[in-house]
Amino acid sequence: MNPKPQPNQPISRRNFLRDGTRIAAMTGIGALLGVAATRSSTAKTSVWQIDPAKCVRCGQCATACVLKQSAVKCVHSYAICGYCNLCTGYFEPEPNALTTAAENQLCPTAAIKRTFIEDPYYEYTIDETKCIGCAKCVEGCNRFGNGSLYLQVRHDRCVNCNECSIARVCAGDAFRRVPVDEPYLLKLTH
Amino acid sequence: MGELLSHRFVSRRGFMKRSMGAAAAAGLAAWSARAAGAKSGTPNPFAYDVDRLKKTDPKWLHYRQIGQFKVPREEARRLTIGPAGRLYVSAGNYVCVLDAQGGRVTEIALSASARCAAVARDGTVYVSLRDHVELFDDKGQRRGTWESPGRRTWITGLAVGESDVFAADSGNRVVLRYDRSGKLAGRIGEKNKDRNVPGFILPSPFLDVELHQDGLLRVNNPGRHQVEAYTPEGDLELVWGKATMSIEGFCGCCNPIALALLPDGRIVTCEKGLPRVKVYSVKGEFESVVAGVETFAENAKVCDPSDCTTGGLDAAVDAAGRVYVLDLVANDIRVMTRKAGAG
Repeated sequence: MNPKPQPNQPISRRNFLRDGTRIAAMTGIGALLGVAATRSSTAKTSVWQIDPAKCVRCGQCATACVLKQSAVKCVHSYAICGYCNLCTGYFEPEPNALTTAAENQLCPTAAIKRTFIEDPYYEYTIDETKCIGCAKCVEGCNRFGNGSLYLQVRHDRCVNCNECSIARVCAGDAFRRVPVDEPYLLKLTH
Repeated sequence: MGELLSHRFVSRRGFMKRSMGAAAAAGLAAWSARAAGAKSGTPNPFAYDVDRLKKTDPKWLHYRQIGQFKVPREEARRLTIGPAGRLYVSAGNYVCVLDAQGGRVTEIALSASARCAAVARDGTVYVSLRDHVELFDDKGQRRGTWESPGRRTWITGLAVGESDVFAADSGNRVVLRYDRSGKLAGRIGEKNKDRNVPGFILPSPFLDVELHQDGLLRVNNPGRHQVEAYTPEGDLELVWGKATMSIEGFCGCCNPIALALLPDGRIVTCEKGLPRVKVYSVKGEFESVVAGVETFAENAKVCDPSDCTTGGLDAAVDAAGRVYVLDLVANDIRVMTRKAGAG
């Protein structure tokens, strides 16, 4: 004795709105909980970093960061450096002379300091307060040198945006999340 | 009235369909905008521009190419020419012996990678297997193995005279002098203030040695961007070379990486990074370009900081003054001859 099947009734506007509002509210609460859970776990467990092997030195790190001066800085692996007299990370491609005169320097902000060690070796040190993360020196060093200069996100500056604005435009897809207890991807060998 | 009702009610299915369509369209638009932003972008205002250095001024190009052929084995590293005009190419675990047109004459099979070779006037072939030297007769039969001189030995260049064999050891930054029986007779080029020898600087393993007709050795000192001339006893007689990216000098961390000698005594240099082959006078005055960067486009791309032993060129000169240029990336040899009336 099954009841007679009723033909489908059109849904009234009131019922539709009521059901829609309920579903929307439930979805919203779920999404909020999800975002909260993800954000809290992300903030605690991972940070943004640049993989030096993928970096293509596109210059976006200098211009795309939300900070006025980028959180990305050039860092130097002294173990790899050749301490070259003609450092292609320090000098313009065709310098007038191998001196520290401004017109000979590649860095647009003169953020690299050149110090004589002994003939013919020179040490190169990055002044991070001046470095804008443009990667010009990194390109020079990688193109003709040992590749000891490379870019890293400095976590004393980075605000760890949920969606990193540099990562969004990074031409080499070099940005990735790394564990917060190992926040740097260091180059230790060639 | 019925028409009005049909407009007022939206079915759940219809609503879902329209919502999903709108969401998909919005997502696609956002993705395309992001992709376009990342890829098109604006030109890099901080670009490191060396394009102008990749073009050689035609006035310096005094050579033209008259041949090109592949090396029959992979991983070619060094090239030398024997007394009969044959080419000896160290490639993989072989020394390939080729005629001047690239035809295979024979090959010497080895137990490890051949790093370089030199051929004596009597046909004896000296081959570096990184840490020691092995000897072969002109038929490819092994005739001897010399003891390795040390743990860090990495022999990257060999030169043979009437009574001496000189081995450029990149690992220990020294040129070792042997007699023809393999007995160590001297060490050349080690840093020594009393003898005014500055020492070799080798950011990458490219130490080469050639025995010049003037009786002096020519050794490249790539970290100093120089070529040095030593007596067989180890006295430094002459130094030339300038660190610059301009055509007249040597650039990058370490150049020149290889040397060859023309019949009249002028010196051919090979560079990596900006791969080019040039000719200098005996005193070190820049004279001409055998082949510029534009000749070795793939080689110019490959000098990789993750492995600075990749890329580069080597050269050898035959009795007629033709320069054979080995491209380590293309694994081929170009034959260059001087243009009529050049220079």
